[in-house]
Amino acid sequence: MPMTLTLSDLTRQTGLDVLDHLEMDAAIPVLDGLQAQGDLIVVPLADLADAVTVEDRARWRPVPPDGVEVLRGGAGGNPHTLVAEPLSCRWTEDLHDRDGLALGVLRADRPVHLMHPEHGASGIAPGTYAIRRQREGRGPMINRSTHTYVYD
Amino acid sequence: MTHPTPRTRGALRTAADARRDALETVRLATRIRDEWIDEGLSALPADRPAAEAAISELYARVRRPAPRFVWVPSPAAAPTAGATTRPMPPPRFDALPDRHDGWPAASLIAALHARLDLRVGDVIARRRRVHGYFHFERWRTDAPEQAVREGADAAFVVSEALLPALTRTVRDSLLMPLRALLNAEAGDPSGYACYGQHGVHKAGAYDVWRRTGLLRLRPEDSEQLDVWAAVARSCGWWWPGDEECVVSERPVDVRTDSAPDGGRRPHSVDGQAVRYADGWGFHAVNGTRVPEWVITDPTPERIAAEPNVEIRRCAIERLGWDAYTELAGLRLVGSAPDPGNPGSELCLFDLPGNTWGGPARLLLTVNGSVERDGTRRRYGLTVPFDLPDPLAAAAWTYGLDSDQYARLQRRT
Repeated sequence: MPMTLTLSDLTRQTGLDVLDHLEMDAAIPVLDGLQAQGDLIVVPLADLADAVTVEDRARWRPVPPDGVEVLRGGAGGNPHTLVAEPLSCRWTEDLHDRDGLALGVLRADRPVHLMHPEHGASGIAPGTYAIRRQREGRGPMINRSTHTYVYD
Repeated sequence: MTHPTPRTRGALRTAADARRDALETVRLATRIRDEWIDEGLSALPADRPAAEAAISELYARVRRPAPRFVWVPSPAAAPTAGATTRPMPPPRFDALPDRHDGWPAASLIAALHARLDLRVGDVIARRRRVHGYFHFERWRTDAPEQAVREGADAAFVVSEALLPALTRTVRDSLLMPLRALLNAEAGDPSGYACYGQHGVHKAGAYDVWRRTGLLRLRPEDSEQLDVWAAVARSCGWWWPGDEECVVSERPVDVRTDSAPDGGRRPHSVDGQAVRYADGWGFHAVNGTRVPEWVITDPTPERIAAEPNVEIRRCAIERLGWDAYTELAGLRLVGSAPDPGNPGSELCLFDLPGNTWGGPARLLLTVNGSVERDGTRRRYGLTVPFDLPDPLAAAAWTYGLDSDQYARLQRRT
């Protein structure tokens, strides 16, 4: 498989659909830094060393052929799905996040993709990353009780 | 050449077999749940003969003669259906005469339903407690089949991941707003009401447990459930009087969009979301019941005067975030290019006073992906008031600091 894929390659390989007005034939950049996809963000785990820790006895499971539904979206129920070639990526949800925003941590040996029907795909280079969701809130920054999650 | 006799593996069930069975159970449960969601949202005319037959059967089960039926177009019309048909207030069970003969029909039917709740609902509640609630994070409940593949128990997935959507769709988004509306308009006119199609979060849920084989009901409970289910499939709310039973038609129009939990929620940006034949009903946007002005004429003045945050958000989205910040004269704290989102600005505004349920600022962002019409949608997020600049505010929404967020490579 070539290193860079297009959205049409990905939809063909995974069977996941995206909205047809998205650019289907542009190469999806595979990046090793921060990437946002709507209400989610992919962050190299090393950047979150003081906030997110994976449990010692975390259960890591391989990303199955039909992907891991990382988060289902708001109206319309569109999911963010993590897809990978067989045996190239593992995923765990056994973690602690100081801010309570991390959904899981992925460990990729080859490029993997996060897909969403409205946002298309984000290519993720080999490495370990946390996927966090977005929040909003009011009051002073220090007060965590008034936070809510964002569904886009 | 002889073939070895294949070994029977009847007694040897592997974990994979169990998971496959659980997956089938969960799929069946989803189908049955969705049937009941459709019943709860049905806008078809009532099936009057079926409703009258089923309600008469409930009267017979409490040893009362079948009532006369009075049909009304909506629950709001029930209190004016006539003096003798006006439903009585609900007497407390402990204030009733010892002998059932002296009880009003409404109390007997309430007791009948309570007994079913006790026998079925409590068994389910006990099972849920055995499994504990803490395994399931809220967002996980959106992916029931995935939970099963990870080894979650089918009964657990049904109770935690499938049935909440039925309850939220029917009880929380229809029954409760309608009841609040009815009580606000006419005091508490209803007394003891049964909710017909809007009671499927009970009858329908019990039916899911029963038909998936996850719960075995006693034959007499199962028969009684059939009758409640028949009522739920045929009419709207009803008030069981001693001689007369007032029954409401179903709405004539119910408009919804899909909810993140797999259910539906009332939604219409063009007229009422729920409307009965006599015009009674309510407006709603994405499941939030809103006053009519939110749909027809959202203005910054009305938005500022609205105490409910959810309603205010709906109204602003109707108006558009850009138009709102301009019309409301919000003070711009600062703007900055959005890293990873070329050509897009992050704007941070001060929100006046406590209008958002606490001091806050408003971060206006631009979507990383284009809409079907080629535009990029803007959306606003509230953030703590002590965030100094737009970059820090955007970073905060993901739990990052400004330097980290500034390294964002791509936003889609």
